[in-house]
Amino acid sequence: MENIIVIRYGEIYLKGKNRAFFERILIKNIRYKLKDFGCKLHAGRSRYIVSDYPTKQENEVVAALQTVFGIHSLSVAVCVPNDLETLIKHVCLSAPDSGTFRISVHRGDKRYPLTSVALAAKLGAAVLSAKPDLRVDLHTPEHTVWVDVRENGTAYIYGKVINGLGGMPVGCAGKGLLLLSGGIDSPVAGYMMAKRGLCFDAIHFHSYPYTSEQAKEKVIQLASIMQNTCGKIHLYCVPVTQIQEAIHKYCTDSYMITILRRFMMRIAAIVAQKQQCGCLINGESLGQVASQTLESITVTNDMVSSMPIFRPLIGMDKQEIIDIALKMGTYETSVLPYEDCCTVFLPESPVTRPTIAKAEEEEAKIPDYNRLLSDAVNKIEILKISQSETC
Amino acid sequence: MMIYLDNAATTKPFDGVLRKMSELYEERFFNPSALYTPAYAVAKEIESARESICRFLGSGGTVYFTSCATESNTWVFSCGIKNKKGNIVISAGEHASVYENAHALIAKGYDVRIVNLSADGTVNQSDLMRKTDQNTTLVSVLHCNNETGAVNDIAALARSVKKVAPHALFHSDGVQALCKIPVRCADAGIDLYSVSAHKIGGVKGVGALWVRNGIRLAPMLLGGGQEKGERSGTENTAGIIGFAEAIRLFSQTDANAVADMRHAVRRTLLATDNVLINESENNSPYILSASISGIRSEILQRKLAERGIFIGLGSACSSRLKKNRILSAMGRSMSYIEGSIRISFGAQNSPIEIPAVCTALQEEIAALRT
Repeated sequence: MENIIVIRYGEIYLKGKNRAFFERILIKNIRYKLKDFGCKLHAGRSRYIVSDYPTKQENEVVAALQTVFGIHSLSVAVCVPNDLETLIKHVCLSAPDSGTFRISVHRGDKRYPLTSVALAAKLGAAVLSAKPDLRVDLHTPEHTVWVDVRENGTAYIYGKVINGLGGMPVGCAGKGLLLLSGGIDSPVAGYMMAKRGLCFDAIHFHSYPYTSEQAKEKVIQLASIMQNTCGKIHLYCVPVTQIQEAIHKYCTDSYMITILRRFMMRIAAIVAQKQQCGCLINGESLGQVASQTLESITVTNDMVSSMPIFRPLIGMDKQEIIDIALKMGTYETSVLPYEDCCTVFLPESPVTRPTIAKAEEEEAKIPDYNRLLSDAVNKIEILKISQSETC
Repeated sequence: MMIYLDNAATTKPFDGVLRKMSELYEERFFNPSALYTPAYAVAKEIESARESICRFLGSGGTVYFTSCATESNTWVFSCGIKNKKGNIVISAGEHASVYENAHALIAKGYDVRIVNLSADGTVNQSDLMRKTDQNTTLVSVLHCNNETGAVNDIAALARSVKKVAPHALFHSDGVQALCKIPVRCADAGIDLYSVSAHKIGGVKGVGALWVRNGIRLAPMLLGGGQEKGERSGTENTAGIIGFAEAIRLFSQTDANAVADMRHAVRRTLLATDNVLINESENNSPYILSASISGIRSEILQRKLAERGIFIGLGSACSSRLKKNRILSAMGRSMSYIEGSIRISFGAQNSPIEIPAVCTALQEEIAALRT
């Protein structure tokens, strides 16, 4: 008998001839997560088996696997010879002492002498006679014991299916650039796109001394937490102090945020192109604040024509976003009280229905627009993010 | 060159203190409860430190060493209240360690009364007397406000309170007053007085509570019976002995020179438009609080830090909180509160630093206002 972990993938199963491409990335991501455990990974048809890990680290291995996109579910199982006597012995060990139960048999090896239904019936009868307080309930059992008969003379027996993150393996859908603020939404936006297989770098705009060093540290910490599920992230920190000062000096108050966001989009697009990112990602949610109305999004969107901007949170409620932030572990950091935009640059009543023409008119008031833009790009600080300790 | 003007938050330890402590850590690291001779010598040195601090605060009481003034204040609030029938009176200008402990008692059902501040930041004496009655069990009024430097006439307040509530304990948080505002606790009618070492050139991790003779407090920590059973736990020998040395060294500071430095910076700020100085007639010469309309103080703080000048924003312990309780209580409007800074001087500041500070303040305020 050997303790193993059975990993199942989900959506990849629907892929056709290119399934191997997705599997290769998923296996690579799983191996990366398991690199410190010294265990073995065997990739079989539609399921992978983790073995040879230290038993006392089982929970840690499971936790690590639960941070891999592309894994639909996993189970901690025992691998035993598939003769009937051994199966009965281990199924009895896995079954509870009381309540309702069912045995669910799956045969990868169709040459096995008993059909799945017949084997389930035999095993169920054996369990019932060993544990008389149990009752069979095939429809809504309190406990299920799964028996997976494999081709190589073995079977996997387990009593619990643990949900994985689902989605697609990170890296299979290309690379994007996430506009990462210190708030709740943008890390969630990154997470949602990672779930669809996108890997990404992040870009953060800071305006020291109007914002603090702590605000920047907070973003670094967020990126570090995101790496647990979203893969390796490079963080590009862009100083926009001079840009904000110029906007504050030359532009109409109500357009300050709109113009700044147009700058950000433009800088992000330049960085994305340099770093071979195929898209931008941001955490906009329609109507959440003045800068996220349809008109505001139209005006900022206008700055990027060479690539799509993904806004995975566009139709989500704040509470839905918070729920995901809590799940991915960024919420506590996001709500730390370090502002990512100084109130000096927040107008009392920002425009909610800006127009492209008016925004361009405002930008024309800034005498050295292009120099400010290139200065900001030239001063970008690239940070390698270390892995969060919660990983 | 660094110019450090946030001494109300903490101070650079005196070289003499560090030397003394280093010698204790390296050579006389013994547990003072041990019975062999070198350990007993350390125990005697702790007692000598205790006596010197007691002498400094006036006769008629004893000092118990704690880990910080917050612990001292917490001790007062955990032992000074006999039952829920009595009421507790604190001022609105208290340090968070008093204010939050009082609010924790409110949550438990105690009658806690908060005395308003006057416009100059001192405790409003008539409001204090309105809120004190014969059932008052504890009154806590800080000696010198940590944000504005306003000095309360603690002896007059204690006398007034004792006339109405003779059995009430009168506590004062003297952290910002120690070595800066003379006090004889027993003569002033104070029962309990909290102090801290790191505000006067000692190190962090050492505080004390002066307790008038005859007052028996419930122990803060139970255990091996150190500090006469009142606060168990192996003594911070180096910190305690360093504390006494810090008091000795700080007492040699030329207070007039400090007052001159404060005055020079104050004059510069007052010459700037729309700046209010938050001070009382009797103010600590070590603290200068100013509210500058039209700027955000944290930005000014960072701009000055870039020039090597370090100043504070209100209380360092609560600078992350958006609201400023003290300045609000003094009636300052939000536009001034947002631009409030605290410049605090210490024994190790020199007058030659001041012109650079004044110039930097003028330039950065002007730049932020454009």
